Amino acid sequence: MATCQGPCDPEWVRMDGSSSFIAEYSFTEKASAVLKQGARKSVEGSVYVFFSKYNTFQGLKMLELEHLHLKHVVQLVSALESIVLRSFGPEGGQVLFTRDTGQVMLSRSGKRILSALHLEHPLARMVVECVWKHSTITGDGSKTFVLLLASLLRMIHASATKEPHMSQPYNSTETTEAACARHLADRLLDFALTELDALIALNVLPHGFCVSLEDSTGKTEQSFQTFLLTFFNTRLGNVYCDFFRDLMCELLSHWKIKNDQPSFSIRFLNNNFPALRTQVSGFPVGSSRLIEGQVIHRDFATPCPQVNEQSVKAVVFSGYLQPKLLTAGDVLELGCGNRATEDSSIVHFSSWTGRSLENIIATLQSFGVSVLLCALKQSSAALALATQTGMCLVECVSEEEISLFAQLSGVTPISDCWRICPEDIATLTFCKPILLGAHRYVHVDFHDSEERLNVKPCSLVICAPGEGQTDQYACAFQDAIRMLLTAWEPMHKSNITALMRTFPSNKFTSVHKDNMGDETAYASCSMNLHETCVIEPGCVLPAGGTFEFLLHHGLHQYGHSCSVSVNTSAVVPVSELLANALLSLPRHIYSHNPKSFLQAQTRVMALIPKHSHTLSSNVIQTEGLLEDGKLSLHSCKKGSMALTLLDLGLESVSCKYHLVLAVLQCLTSLLRVNKVLRTHTVLHTKSHKLLNARSESTEDEDEDEVVSL
Amino acid sequence: MKLNSLLLMSRLVKKSPSVCTDLPLSSSDVCNKLHLMKEFLRSSYGPTARLKQVHNNIGGSVVTSSTSSVLLQAIASSQPIISLIRSSILNHVSRFSDCGLFAAVFCLCLLEQAGQCGLRKNVMIKVNKHLLSLCTGYLQQEDCGCKVKLDFCSSQNLITLARSVISSKPTCVLTEPESDHISRLAVQAFLLTVPCNIPDTVRLGRTATITIEGHSVLKSAVFPGLLLSTPENLCFDSLCSPLHVVLFSISLAGDLSEIGDGRIEMHQGVDVDSQILDQLLELGKQVLKDGVKLFLCQKVIHPVLQHYLRCNGVIVIERLGVSLMEPLIQLTGAQPVATLHATIPSTVYGKVHNVCIRQFGSKTMLHLHPAGETAICSMILCHRNETMLNELKLVCQTTEHVLRLTLREPFALLGGGCTETHLAAYVRHKSKNEVSESTSVLGCSQTEYLLAAEAFCHSLELVATSLEHDGGTSLIDLTHAHHWTLPSDVTEEHLEGVMAPCGCGVVESCQNKTRSYLDTKYAGFSPAPLLTASPLQATVLDSFTPKVNALGVAVETANLVLDVRYVIQDVN
Repeated sequence: MATCQGPCDPEWVRMDGSSSFIAEYSFTEKASAVLKQGARKSVEGSVYVFFSKYNTFQGLKMLELEHLHLKHVVQLVSALESIVLRSFGPEGGQVLFTRDTGQVMLSRSGKRILSALHLEHPLARMVVECVWKHSTITGDGSKTFVLLLASLLRMIHASATKEPHMSQPYNSTETTEAACARHLADRLLDFALTELDALIALNVLPHGFCVSLEDSTGKTEQSFQTFLLTFFNTRLGNVYCDFFRDLMCELLSHWKIKNDQPSFSIRFLNNNFPALRTQVSGFPVGSSRLIEGQVIHRDFATPCPQVNEQSVKAVVFSGYLQPKLLTAGDVLELGCGNRATEDSSIVHFSSWTGRSLENIIATLQSFGVSVLLCALKQSSAALALATQTGMCLVECVSEEEISLFAQLSGVTPISDCWRICPEDIATLTFCKPILLGAHRYVHVDFHDSEERLNVKPCSLVICAPGEGQTDQYACAFQDAIRMLLTAWEPMHKSNITALMRTFPSNKFTSVHKDNMGDETAYASCSMNLHETCVIEPGCVLPAGGTFEFLLHHGLHQYGHSCSVSVNTSAVVPVSELLANALLSLPRHIYSHNPKSFLQAQTRVMALIPKHSHTLSSNVIQTEGLLEDGKLSLHSCKKGSMALTLLDLGLESVSCKYHLVLAVLQCLTSLLRVNKVLRTHTVLHTKSHKLLNARSESTEDEDEDEVVSL
Repeated sequence: MKLNSLLLMSRLVKKSPSVCTDLPLSSSDVCNKLHLMKEFLRSSYGPTARLKQVHNNIGGSVVTSSTSSVLLQAIASSQPIISLIRSSILNHVSRFSDCGLFAAVFCLCLLEQAGQCGLRKNVMIKVNKHLLSLCTGYLQQEDCGCKVKLDFCSSQNLITLARSVISSKPTCVLTEPESDHISRLAVQAFLLTVPCNIPDTVRLGRTATITIEGHSVLKSAVFPGLLLSTPENLCFDSLCSPLHVVLFSISLAGDLSEIGDGRIEMHQGVDVDSQILDQLLELGKQVLKDGVKLFLCQKVIHPVLQHYLRCNGVIVIERLGVSLMEPLIQLTGAQPVATLHATIPSTVYGKVHNVCIRQFGSKTMLHLHPAGETAICSMILCHRNETMLNELKLVCQTTEHVLRLTLREPFALLGGGCTETHLAAYVRHKSKNEVSESTSVLGCSQTEYLLAAEAFCHSLELVATSLEHDGGTSLIDLTHAHHWTLPSDVTEEHLEGVMAPCGCGVVESCQNKTRSYLDTKYAGFSPAPLLTASPLQATVLDSFTPKVNALGVAVETANLVLDVRYVIQDVN
C-alpha cells in the first residue's frame, strides 16, 4: 500500500490498507469512522462509496477498495461516448432497447439511452446521473454532454501526463496525474463560473439574434420554426421532424394565452403535458393530430350520453358517491339489546347507504347535472342509479386529468357529497365518447373558455405503428417544451467587471492613450463597466457547431491575452483546454465528411472581424450601450444576417451555456473521486472464503466491463 | 428461516448490465433471423397458404392457423428488432383485423431489398417515405386504377369482399359452397347491425356469435334478436306479446358485497340470511306485481327466489355474463338494476316481442325477438371440429370488422395481387418521370433515388408473388399491370390456351396482351385504367382501409428498423 503523506490523499487509505479489515464485528463502526474521516479529508479527494444496499441489519461483510486511475475514467467515458455517437449528428440513427419486461423502446435521446444501459461501475453511474439531472431540467443536450465530457477528459489526461509537477513530493506517477487532473478540473470550473457568461456575451451573442415568443410574424416566426425543427431533428431523425414541428407550433399557438407572458403558457403545458396527450399505436405517424378540448383517458361507466343539448353540466367528485357502510376498524353490532328488530336488521343498514345515494343523485338532478367525473371506482348501485336518471358517469379519472379539468373549467372537485353548490358545476359544450385506437375515451370541451381563460384548449393525439414509438414522440414533445422553457428563461446576471479584471491592460491602451499604469487603466475601465451583462432570453444561433467555433475563438483569444499579460506560463491555460475540447463537437457533427468540418469552420470564422480589434471594438460598443443595463443587440445584427443564410437550423445559446457549466461540474466531481469503496451486503451466510472469491470475481468483471463496454 | 433468506435473496438480486449490439442490420445473425421470419410469414400468405402448427415446449395445446394475429403472437423472439416489427404489425391487426400478413411480408421484403441495394440508410428512409406518400396519394385519387367503388344497393360486391377475406384463411377448411354460405351470412349479419332509421350519429349494433361443434358448416345461420343459453327444463305457456323484462346487474344470491371493510358482530337470535332472503322475495313480489315475464340477471340468483318466480310463470335466466349485458340493454331497452332496497321504478323495465325455444344440437337456446327496430343479431357458427371452428369464428369477426370499415370508406381494392403489381408499375413509372423534382426535394443523387425506388417496387411485386405456393410463376401484363399466375405444369407455348383471368378476375386473357415475368426487368409504363363498362366483375376484392393503413405501417416500420444503429437489451 502506498504510504500517504501527500496532502491530497486521505489518511484513511493507510488505515484500511491491510486486508484484516474484513472483521465483521466492528465493521459498521469502523466504516462510519472511515466515512467521517473521509468526509473531513475530502477537501482534495473525496470518496465515492458504493453501497449495493446499506443495511446494518444484514451486517456488512467486507469492504473493497479500488483505485481509480485517470486513464480508467477516460476509458469509461469514452465507452459511453461511443454508444451515444451512434445517434448523434445528422447521420445518427435510433437506438433500440428492450426493457426488463420485454417491451421494445426506441430512442435518440441520450438520457434514455444511457439509463437503459444499467451500468454497474459507480463512476459510470455517476456520469449517467449527471446527464439525467441536466437533461431533465433543460430537456436537451444529453448526447453533447457525454461527448464534451469525454473530450475534456482526454484533454486533461493528455496535459496531466505530459507535464507532471516534479516539484512536489509524490512517489507515484498515477497519484501525480490524478492530482494534476483534479487541479485542472477545479480551475476549469472556477474559470467557467466566473468568466464564461461574459465571454459568451462578448464572443457569441453578437452573432446570434433573439427570437421572441410573442411576436409571431414573418421572420421571427420562421426562425422559431427552424429552432423547433432543429430540436426534433436531433430527437426523431429527419423523416418526421417537419411534421412534428408543425404539430408543436400548432399546439403552442392554441395554448397561447392572450394578454399574458408566453413563458407562462409553456410552463402550463409543461406541467399538464401528461394529461394533454393521448398515445395511439397501430396507425401511421401522419394520423397524429390536435383535437379541441380535453380527452379524459377513461370510458363511460354508464351508457353514453345523447348529444343533443347545447351545453352539458358536469361535476367532479373526489370520493365515493355511495357512502361506505363500514370502514376498516368499524364494528357493526346486530341484535344487541331488545330494541325493535326491524331497525336492527342488516337490510336496514345497507338500505341506508342506498337512500343516501338517492339523495345525492336527486340533488344533482335538481342542478341539471348530467356528467359525473369521479376519481374513485363507484359502487354498482351508483352506476345503476346514474343510468336510470340519465346521467353519465366516468370512474377512476387520474389525478392529473382532474387537475387539468379543474383548471380549465374553473371548478373544484367535490369531496363532501352532501355539500354541492352551484359553483361546483362546470359547463361543457359537449361530452361525448371518442374512439382513439383500441380505446374509447371521454372527450369534453369547455364552455366560453376563450373568454374566461383567453385560450383555446386542445389535446394532442400521437399516433405511430408501435407503442415504443408513440412513447418516443411523446417524450420528444415533453423535452421540446422543457427546452423552450430553458431557452426563454430569464437569464442570470453577471458582473461584466469580472471579465474586465482579467483583460490585460494593453488591450485598452488604444482606448486610454495616457500614461496610466496597468492597475489604473483597469480601474477606470471597471468603473465604466460596472453594469450587468445579460444573455437575452430566447437568443439563438445557427446550429452545426457555430456556438463551438465562436466560443473556441473567444477562449483562444482570451487564453492568448492571459499568457501575454500575466507571467504564469507554467500553468496550462484552462481556457485553451476548454477551447480545444469544444472543437471536438463540430468534428463529430461532420465526421462523415471531414472536408465539411473545415468549410464550416472557415464560414464561421469569416464572420469574425480581424482579431486584435475585435475585443476592443466590442468593448467600446458595449461600453456605449451598457447605459440601459443590457447588452443591447443592435451591435449584433450585422453578424447574424450573414449567419442565418447558413441552412443549418438554430439552437439556443442559453441551453448551450447551461450545458457547458453542467459538464464542467460533472467533470470536477468525477475527478475528485480517487477511490471506490465497495461494500457488500450479506445475502446468505456462507464462508468468508467464498465471499472473498466472489468479491474478487466481481472486481474482475468490473475491470472487464470498463474495457469492453 | 430458509424461506426468509430466499426471499431476501430475490429482493437483493443485482441488476446485470445490458447487452449491446452495434449496427444490428449489418450483423448476419439478425439478417438470418429476418429472412427466416419473412419465409415463414410468406408461406402463410394467401388462400393457398401452408398452415402452421404452433406448439409450445411444455406440451400445451396445439394451434393450427395461418392468421397473422395467431402466428405473430406465437413467434416471440429475443431479438428486439423482430419484436419491434411484430408489435407494429400486431397493433395494426388489432385496429383493422385484416392485412396483417401483407404488412409483415411487405415490411420484411423492404428490409431485405434495402440490405441488397446497399444505399445509405438515410437515403433509403427518405425515398421510402416519399414513395409511400405517392402510393397513398394515388389510392385516394378518384381515378385510381385498382380501386372499386362499393355499391350498397347490391350486395354482390360486399359478398365478394367477404368471401375474399374468408377464403384467404385456409385453416377454416371450407368447400366452395360452404365459403359462399358463410360469406352470405357474414354480409347478412352485417346488414342486420346497421340501424334502419338513422339519427345524427349512427350507432352500429352487435352480432353475438355462438359456436356449435360437430355440425356441418351449412347449418350455420343468422337470426335477428338474441339467443341465450337456457337450462334444459324450460317450459312456458304461450305468452302474450310484448313481454316485460327486468335486468339485474348485481348478484341476487343473498350476499352483502357493498358493506365495506368493517366487522359485523352478531348477537344471538339474529338471522342475517333470512333477513336478506326476505328482502329478495319482496323484490320478487314487486316484479310479479309489475307483470314482468322475463327475469334476467348478470350474476347468480338465489335458488329460492328462482323457484318462487318460476312457480309464478316467469322465465328466469341467471349468469348471463358481462358481455351479453350491452346487447341485452340495446335489444330490450331495459336499464340494469343494481339495488335490492329501493322499489324498482317502472322506467327500467324493457320489452321483447316474443320468445321461443330453438334447439341446436345439444344446445337449447331461448330466442328473444326484438319488440321494435333493433340492430342486434345472433350468428350460429357450426363446424366439424374445434380448430376449424375457432378459426371460423376469428374469420367471421375479421369479416364483420372489414365490412364495417367500408361504411366509412366505401371502396375495395382489386385482390389477387393485382393491386400490388399495379401500384408497383405506377410508382416505377412515376418515379422515373419525376426523378429530377424528387431528388432536389429529397437531397440525394438520381442514381440513389432510382435504386431505392426499384427496391420499393420490387418489394411490392414480391408480395404479389408470395400468393403463389405451388411452384407457379408470376407474370404482369404490360397494359393494365395486373397479376397473372402461370401454373408450374404449363409451358410458355400453351400459355394462351389455358390462361385463366388475372388474379382479381377483372381482366380476361386474350391474344394481344404482352406479359412479362415479375422477376425480370420490363420497360416502365403507365398502367392503363380499366374500361368503365367492364364485362367482368372482380372475383377477389381486398379491403380498402386496412390495406392503405397496412401499407403505411409496413413502410414506417421498415424505416424505423433501417434507422436503428444500436441495440441495448435489458437481460434482467
